[in-house]
Amino acid sequence: MKKTFLAKRNAFLSSAKIPWSGFALIVVALLFLVRFFAPNLFWQMLAPLFHSADSLAAESHAFFSGFGNNTKLSLQNESLVNENTALANENQALLQKDASLEALLGSPTSEKNMPSEILAGVVARPPETPYDTLVLAAGAQAGVALGQEVFGAGDVPIGVISTVFSDFSRATLFSSPGVRIAGWAGPTDIPLTITGSGAGTMNAKLPRSASIAVGDIIFGPGPGMFPIGKVTRIDSNPTSSAVTLRITPALDLFSVSWVTVRGVSTALLNALSQATSTLP
Amino acid sequence: MIRGILTCSALISAIFFPWPFTAFLALVSSPIEPFLPFASGIFLDTLYYTPSTGIPPFFAITGAIVTLIAFSVRSRVRTGIIKR
Repeated sequence: MKKTFLAKRNAFLSSAKIPWSGFALIVVALLFLVRFFAPNLFWQMLAPLFHSADSLAAESHAFFSGFGNNTKLSLQNESLVNENTALANENQALLQKDASLEALLGSPTSEKNMPSEILAGVVARPPETPYDTLVLAAGAQAGVALGQEVFGAGDVPIGVISTVFSDFSRATLFSSPGVRIAGWAGPTDIPLTITGSGAGTMNAKLPRSASIAVGDIIFGPGPGMFPIGKVTRIDSNPTSSAVTLRITPALDLFSVSWVTVRGVSTALLNALSQATSTLP
Repeated sequence: MIRGILTCSALISAIFFPWPFTAFLALVSSPIEPFLPFASGIFLDTLYYTPSTGIPPFFAITGAIVTLIAFSVRSRVRTGIIKR
């Protein structure tokens, strides 16, 4: 006796009909709920995965760099260029700070009043993070607060703390789309508004008459004047009275592995557009 | 089995690789796994979306649109085969 009917009914009832992506959707929905109701637990669960992704990337980098001297030399060169850039930026910042203080007070002062800073490891960074954000392995328990400024190597300001959990926090980079901050450009400190344009880059508009050239340093917000990047291209339209500055950050945001967090700034918090969503 | 591997790869790549790779895997898999772009989009936004920047959750929205297109294409392809 044939059992075609039963077999068909079983096939209809079996889970084999549910596609894999359907299961994936259910799992992702559960993860979303965990993130919504217990964000700290969510990041504690995923942080080991991000760390293993980091170590995998480092090991594969080391593996591929062992194939030839040229690769090794180019990597060393890249590292030295980065170090040099960081030192040059630090030097620029110190010179600017020294000049400002001397103009104000007449003599150099010590940095006794600098607020204490928090060192934080970076769990996730661009290009993995698509919205130009950093996930930091330091949260409220380490003293991180909403609106604190985030600095990379060489005291380069790179973003602001936008979300704080118990053990983790999220920093929105200045290059994140929609972020607008005040800054200064060039040797004459021309004030300008810097707009994030994604993928680690920023834009600013200035009148054509402003004397800005390619290679000029852009200074960002924060205690003292710290360089955040430099002008790499100037786009001008003959019909417009303004030029657009294309700014690349002073620090390679795609390889930043630690940052320092300090100084709450309400101005920076206001710089982030306020959204109506309450998602943590 | 291939479908399972593709689904898992797309989700895991959101953590281990830059997001364009995840988007590529989800897009390539969409004809056979139509929910995958939506699942990947929600997963990317669950991991990285920050509401304070004021921009909408781009990946969840794009994933939903691609999933709708994938379903639409699948239904048309199936109808075509039956008609033959």
